[in-house]
Amino acid sequence: MVEFLQFLVPGILIGGVYALLASGLGLIFGVMRVVNFAQADFMMLAMYLSWALFAGGVGLDPFLAVPAVFVLFLVLGMAVHWLFIRFVIGKRENHDAQVILTIGLGLIFQNLILIRYSSEPRVVAPSYANAGDFIGDIFISRVRLYAFLLSVLVAALLFLFLNRSRTGRAIRAASENWEAATYMGIDIDRTNRIAFGVGVALTAVGGSALVTFQSITPFVGFRFVVVMFAAVVLGGLGSVSGAFVGGVLIGIIQSVSQVWTSAAVKNVWVFALFLLILYVRPNGLFGKVQRAI
Amino acid sequence: MLEIADICAGYGGVPALRSIDFAVGQQEHVAILGPNGAGKTTLLKTISGTVEADSGSILFDGQDLLSQAPHRRVETGIVHVPQGRMIFASMTVSDNLRLGSHRRGARDRHDERRELVLEIFPALADMLGRDGGALSGGQQQMLAVARGVMACPRLLMLDEPSMGLAPRAADDIFEGIARLLKSETTAMIVVEQRAHEALEICDRAYVLESGEVALEATNRELLNDERLAAAYLGSEL
Repeated sequence: MVEFLQFLVPGILIGGVYALLASGLGLIFGVMRVVNFAQADFMMLAMYLSWALFAGGVGLDPFLAVPAVFVLFLVLGMAVHWLFIRFVIGKRENHDAQVILTIGLGLIFQNLILIRYSSEPRVVAPSYANAGDFIGDIFISRVRLYAFLLSVLVAALLFLFLNRSRTGRAIRAASENWEAATYMGIDIDRTNRIAFGVGVALTAVGGSALVTFQSITPFVGFRFVVVMFAAVVLGGLGSVSGAFVGGVLIGIIQSVSQVWTSAAVKNVWVFALFLLILYVRPNGLFGKVQRAI
Repeated sequence: MLEIADICAGYGGVPALRSIDFAVGQQEHVAILGPNGAGKTTLLKTISGTVEADSGSILFDGQDLLSQAPHRRVETGIVHVPQGRMIFASMTVSDNLRLGSHRRGARDRHDERRELVLEIFPALADMLGRDGGALSGGQQQMLAVARGVMACPRLLMLDEPSMGLAPRAADDIFEGIARLLKSETTAMIVVEQRAHEALEICDRAYVLESGEVALEATNRELLNDERLAAAYLGSEL
């Protein structure tokens, strides 16, 4: 039992970060039906930014840098929407263009970073990087606990934004029925731009939460992109809360499976469950035929 | 107030409106009648901007509408209650109403408008916390109209408010609209299959056929002239 808990607790902690990463991807898909293949590369850029702020003389703690990362990536995401994404939204025949555009953006981000910083892995190690506390027999890493708490806090703020703010309500309305939203006087291009910015910023903050225990390379996105997509599909395409639950679930499975099998095959368990759930519920855990976020 | 001249519009090259002339005066209530596929819904969508006009002009208070984005047209007070209701099913009735008052000109009047729509459709008062999708068809239609009224319309456009409803539910909708018109000075366009009910709340009617105006008459002319009624409205009257 203790051994089980020793794997379960870290699973929940990393799952919270997966959830945050996936919620950004889920928000963007839910609102504008764009599968953003560059999402994990925005995360990678945010990790490099956190590293640069920490190691580049400023010495800024990656957790304290989160507000700056959020704002910067909100603006970057809105700019990318305005420059590129808005031209490939909507019509069915745009789907190919969306895939090529977002994969292309991801490749450009990776290679720009590769040119600038080489492929050498970078590490962000604040003074408390290896600290932790025992609760009973269970060791809880300080940085992973912080990362988890940060994810929960950001998710709560996202929930408030979507449910309580005027813009959040407009985004939900536009994602459910763009035509009806237009008749309410909602500017769909604007809600898409904001949703894309917020979606990118959520995943970016997830990246900042990861840097204290995940080394950074230009290709670190590959390690997370599969998890993000699996979480979004598992939770139900288009459902932000579903993406969140999917992320936590994947963290738990990855970790708990190590009670019985090697860490090398942890994703095999993830995809076994993934297939099982989709077999039983083809729309995912929280997916509805009616689209909603 | 609304002046439409020589409007042509269509879908992918197939014309749906051929050179329509159409007008609504200040506070006037106008019905658009005609068979399915006549272009009634397309005409409303061309006014609100979700269908683009190929040629012609639309003026609202003398201002050109066609050069404005759809959401900008709502700011001028043109409020479209679309066919098929299109309520936000995953959101509460309360949130649906709040979205109705999204436009700048209606934001500060949310509370007073909400009182008004709950007077018009008292059945909604008990449903405020429920998801829109959990309502019956009649209640959803009430919500759709109420949501439009929240926007403080200067021109309210109702597209088949009785579509798919049982006779009694349709009566509730028309009674609600009649109550609204007692307290509001808004202009209105109603697209309807139930010609008789529509004419009761309207001053004038256009009959569309195959994308053209086949007849324009006051409601009195239509209701009193059996020949006209039989020719253009079939057995509906």
